[in-house]
Amino acid sequence: MEIEVKEKNENEMIFILSDVDVAFANAIRRIGMMEVPKIAIEHVNIIKNSSAMFDEVLAHRLGLVPIVSDNEAIEALISNEDCDCKDDVNNTNGYCSKCSVSFTLIKNTPGVVYSKDLHSNDPKIKPVYDTIPLLKLKDDQEVELEAVAIIGKGKDHAKWMPTTVCTYKQYPVITFNDEKELSNDVVEACPNNILKLNKKTKEPTVQNIEDCTLCKFCVRTSENKAIDVGYEENKIIFKIETDGSMTPKEVLLKVCDVLNSKADRFIEFF
Amino acid sequence: MIPIRCMSCGKPISAHFDEFESRKADGEDPKDIFEDMNIKRYCCRRMFITHVEVWE
Repeated sequence: MEIEVKEKNENEMIFILSDVDVAFANAIRRIGMMEVPKIAIEHVNIIKNSSAMFDEVLAHRLGLVPIVSDNEAIEALISNEDCDCKDDVNNTNGYCSKCSVSFTLIKNTPGVVYSKDLHSNDPKIKPVYDTIPLLKLKDDQEVELEAVAIIGKGKDHAKWMPTTVCTYKQYPVITFNDEKELSNDVVEACPNNILKLNKKTKEPTVQNIEDCTLCKFCVRTSENKAIDVGYEENKIIFKIETDGSMTPKEVLLKVCDVLNSKADRFIEFF
Repeated sequence: MIPIRCMSCGKPISAHFDEFESRKADGEDPKDIFEDMNIKRYCCRRMFITHVEVWE
């Protein structure tokens, strides 16, 4: 298997996998969306809320706020599922300081309340963005609450999904029939403008072939079958975009960890 | 209030809402603002351009 990174920035990574099965890429995709652990607000204890927003609407909004969950931030936390605080008779909360992070939100001045007003008890774990509007307060209205964030997985709720886009497509191959002439309509049919026609020689060329979505608009427009769009069987373009809570590289490495531990269960069994 | 995330893809778009509104009020073309803020998909873009603020 060969990997070539095409584009990479803080929240987005596009890479090309060669010599892999679609099934393998699909395993990466599904684990990347559903089984990479991430932290999100799960319990909200509302002490005061005299704003126009209902308690449950506010709690739902808080849950969706992305919270920094890279390795460095959450390595000290243990998963709520594995924590022994659930067996503790004196603890009726369902969480404890070992498996959760607490945020406080206290505001009584009129104006918009932003995610930066959420104060965490762990300086490393904080909302990714400071500018998310949560609710509005008018004169004499106040809000006071405690929000508890725990580690979870995307299969339980979308707020625990580290990736917003986690997709792949097969590498496109465009072939021209040299004996037939390609009309200008076919070139213009492409929604991503990847086809070009040389005006003098009438010779078609392809640019940025990775932008081809395999929509086959060009094939359907071409009446004389001068163009065909196919794909390479074992070459895949993969795209990962995260919500900012961790880098795409870290998501990919955690996917490998999860896949590994799943396979380990067979090794342990036999 | 604008939803925290895009309803279709889950991108946390609300973080850019105040910037979008103030730049739009300054007369900038929404298309340029979106390109500058790296909001590419039409699912995310419709969250901004169809939003009506009713909380007053």
